[in-house]
Amino acid sequence: MSYFVVGYYAMLIGASCLAAHFKQRSLFLLLFSLTLVSFVMGIIGGAPALWFVTVGAGLIALAAGTSYAFREFLVTIAPPETAKELRTAPLTAAFGLFVIFTCAIAMVFADLIAPYGEAEVISSAFAPPDENLLLGADQLGRDIFSRLIYGARNTVGLALAATALAFIMGALAGLYAATKGGMFDQAMGRIADIIMSVPSLIFALLMLSIFGTNLAILVIIVAIIYSPRVFRLTRAVAGNVVVMDYIEAAKLRGEGTWYLIRKEILPNSTAPLIAEFGLEFCFVFLLIAGLSFLGLGIQPPTADWGSMVRENATLISFGDITPLIPAGAIALLTVAVNFVVDWMLFRSSGLKE
Amino acid sequence: MSPVIIIVLKRLGLGLLTLFAISILIFFAVEMLPGDIAQAVLGQGATEENLAALREKLGLDQPAPVRYLQWLSGALVGDFGTSLVSGERVSEAISGRFTNTLFLAAYAAVIAVPVAIILGIIVALLRETLFDRVSNILALTAISSPEFFLGYILILVFAVNMGAFPAIARLSGDLSFLELLHRTFLPALTMVLVVVAHMMRMTRAAIINLLASPYIEMARLKGAPPWKVIVHHALPNAWAPIINVVALNLAYLVTGVVLVEVVFVYPGIGQLLVDAVSKRDFPIVQACCLIFAATFILLNLAADVGAILTNPRLRHPK
Repeated sequence: MSYFVVGYYAMLIGASCLAAHFKQRSLFLLLFSLTLVSFVMGIIGGAPALWFVTVGAGLIALAAGTSYAFREFLVTIAPPETAKELRTAPLTAAFGLFVIFTCAIAMVFADLIAPYGEAEVISSAFAPPDENLLLGADQLGRDIFSRLIYGARNTVGLALAATALAFIMGALAGLYAATKGGMFDQAMGRIADIIMSVPSLIFALLMLSIFGTNLAILVIIVAIIYSPRVFRLTRAVAGNVVVMDYIEAAKLRGEGTWYLIRKEILPNSTAPLIAEFGLEFCFVFLLIAGLSFLGLGIQPPTADWGSMVRENATLISFGDITPLIPAGAIALLTVAVNFVVDWMLFRSSGLKE
Repeated sequence: MSPVIIIVLKRLGLGLLTLFAISILIFFAVEMLPGDIAQAVLGQGATEENLAALREKLGLDQPAPVRYLQWLSGALVGDFGTSLVSGERVSEAISGRFTNTLFLAAYAAVIAVPVAIILGIIVALLRETLFDRVSNILALTAISSPEFFLGYILILVFAVNMGAFPAIARLSGDLSFLELLHRTFLPALTMVLVVVAHMMRMTRAAIINLLASPYIEMARLKGAPPWKVIVHHALPNAWAPIINVVALNLAYLVTGVVLVEVVFVYPGIGQLLVDAVSKRDFPIVQACCLIFAATFILLNLAADVGAILTNPRLRHPK
């Protein structure tokens, strides 16, 4: 029994006693169940398993602390109306905002942050991390940290472009279909049905095999695949708005379709559309990352998170976690966006289950 | 005829129609190629004679609708033509691999479905507690992680560090069934993680929706024990959403399998599709896409039909 193991259990049991004493029921349950689980894990995995739990708990505490501080920061700098909303945000949403914020910084200031260029060969292949190479080098001797930073710009930028395009196409078609109705509405509905009935990855692969892997084509294909979702939502939301009296009044005034869409319907259906934008971004981002991982998305030497996983995948069999870093970055950003979307949906629907 | 049968038949008809539309889409997508298939395969530097010979071999001299009908009638009996790259029959390349993919998906489904439904019900009963919140965060994380991230983590932990399972799911020679399960455990587990998270969230939502309805409140108020409320009152109505959830997620498994197969170098149809796309081997791409799309549509169809058949309001019309 090392001091670490003794200290570990003493801390846990002491903390659960304190929690029980101060009537913190859920905290006590959490700590005590962790103690019980630790017994089992300690017997099976020994001290390393307990280290794992400690590091995990430390990371979660760090994330929670960062989110808390970041939320307070946002509350302080935001105008009073927004600050009131932000104060009620759960920690997960604050965490999501923090990750998105960090990623945006990396995207905008990539040239300043990254120590080396994205395609610059600076050392031997698979060089281990040292003070110059924060995360080591990849299969060609390029700095992984720099590529990660540039990858934020390329991967996320591409996903944003595709999402925006999907949104413009889907939302415009949906709004137009809701206002016009009739044949156009029916035809668009059937087309959306057909596109949605093919799995998105398969559809993307089919189209890429035909048109080749070119960035502009990739964006257009992904946008086409995901626009039916936006179309359906916009159609449904706008369908509820179109039957309102003020739309009727505007029509009687003799306003054109484009005016109706822009001035009357769109301002009244933004809330669900913004949440949908976040969700849609997650899907698009995962699809593009998946395609890049398969070697069919963003092409080398452009730094990109999906292809970085693929290029360094062989390292995993030597117990090196390098390929997990870009993959983890993809997961982290998607989780972050999902957390924020979850909060926004909760807020806009007013669901209290 | 009872109204249920009519509704089911209508739904089946719609499914067939969609399938037909998809086959048109898949076939004519290749027609959209700048130039034609022969040009795309041989590249810019091809001589006129070579192009003409390949066009002759592929039957490109016939109009597209005729070729579509030939392709479709072939596809219906499992004949997808020959591969452009290896010259092998597409059906031979696919048949063994398709069984492998189905095996992997079934393996994952057998583990995932019961686990997800039980977890979903537990989480729904414990809603608004710490357990519910933690599991919600974990499920969101699993859904948001790309399949290859989960796959490589599992490889690192179970194959490299613990050495318990092989990292590469190579199926060679005669394997006993147990050995097969052991070798394909990690790819199956990767898919289980993603699908369980999805299914759990959906089951939770369905059950919570149900528990909020007045007749459940009534059962509670009249003093029925909690397990009886769940088993006798809630469950009969919950089957429809649960069957729907299961079928939708099985459909999801079919797509997720592509990335997982590449991570674990599993000899399935997804890997074949990815290879064929990078080599621009159109007959194989078309065949794989048709198979994936058909499976996806059939499972969605099963979800709808299952929901119709388990709907008590439709089964016992007034």
